Amino acid sequence: MASDPAKQLERNARLMELLARTALKDQQAFAELYRAASPHLFAVALRILREASAAEEVLQESFVNVWHHAASYVAAKSQPLTWLTSIVRNRCLDQLRRREVETITMDDEEEGVTIADQGPTALELLLAGADAHAVKACIEALEPAQKQAIALAFFQGLSHSELARHMREPLGTVKSWVRRGLERLRSCLDRVGVTR
Amino acid sequence: MNLGDPQRNDALAAAYVLGTLRGRARARFERLMRGNRGLGDAVRAWEERLLPLAESLPPVTPPARVWTAILGRTAGTGAVPGRPASSGAHVGWWRGLALVSLAAAFALALALLKPAPELPQGTLVVVLAGEDAKPKLLASSDRSSRYLTIAAIAPIALESDRALELWMLPDHGNPRSLGLVSAVAPTGIARVALPDNAERALKDIPALAVSLEPSGGSPTGLPTGPVLYSGAVKRLY
Repeated sequence: MASDPAKQLERNARLMELLARTALKDQQAFAELYRAASPHLFAVALRILREASAAEEVLQESFVNVWHHAASYVAAKSQPLTWLTSIVRNRCLDQLRRREVETITMDDEEEGVTIADQGPTALELLLAGADAHAVKACIEALEPAQKQAIALAFFQGLSHSELARHMREPLGTVKSWVRRGLERLRSCLDRVGVTR
Repeated sequence: MNLGDPQRNDALAAAYVLGTLRGRARARFERLMRGNRGLGDAVRAWEERLLPLAESLPPVTPPARVWTAILGRTAGTGAVPGRPASSGAHVGWWRGLALVSLAAAFALALALLKPAPELPQGTLVVVLAGEDAKPKLLASSDRSSRYLTIAAIAPIALESDRALELWMLPDHGNPRSLGLVSAVAPTGIARVALPDNAERALKDIPALAVSLEPSGGSPTGLPTGPVLYSGAVKRLY
């Protein structure tokens, strides 16, 4: 979405207003909120779930949830798109959890291919996302393996064990990349005062 | 999970937001978060750090059916058409309705839907009945409106893992879905979006039908379950 800070501010103000009106059960505001936010949220779900019908279902569930609980947004004190993204991502991760229970075995080779084949890689997305939010220096300061592991977990929804398989490294190594990468990201972001 | 250590709490919050906290640990963390403000704040801080990174994804417009389905599940639950506050009082009364003639059902249901004494600009109505010919649902729309409102005029039983889907039955060709109307069960109102205003959208549609589908609606785009109710489109203009 908008990367220009002024446009971003304007968009956030608009989304906040739409959420507030949705909380009052204003159908028109809800429809506009959907038009404005659904392409971004659908992209998030598609990337994690890698299956259009599952992503559609999550989007549907999420917006029904937003309709009923928009009032709780006020209490959340988050940026509007962040709040909406968290709803969609949490539902996606729930879906993955259910899938994990259903299909325990997965062909490693095949999985590697699916992940590699999809448009921009998770790493490219992470860097692009960082670019847009002036946290570039902090993302770039991570070690390459930390960056890669965090990008795959964040954009593709890979679990620790899937990361280990995909990166062909022991589970413990991958876990510590993720953990240390996040710690480093946090202290760097806190230093530059990015957290809003 | 030990909640005493702030550093560990922050690491858990980070793993939760990143998505690497999985399975039962994730569910347990969610429960703990609800009762622990510090944990909730840590999660929100990580959401503000990480989630904006997702904005780099190229947006993808979802297919129109997603919105239709959302509307089918949210319309009628809000302030717009709304259930009458005294709907409970009507239920027993409506139960006797099957005995009343179809014409009377029309008039009564219309009076309920349009309490204001205005002359309708031109209304389309469909009384949908089951195999026993008892009227169960009333669908109506102003001819210029892009929405169709469906109300239960007798109690509708629906199991929680099933959905009701509304279909246009054209003269020729396959039924076309108008979305889910499960909100009518047991005594409610649902609203679906039409592809055009009612006059044009239902121009070559002699009848509507409601089928029983798996939750989420027909997986094939055509009715898969039994048709429970159907009725002819009537134009009151």
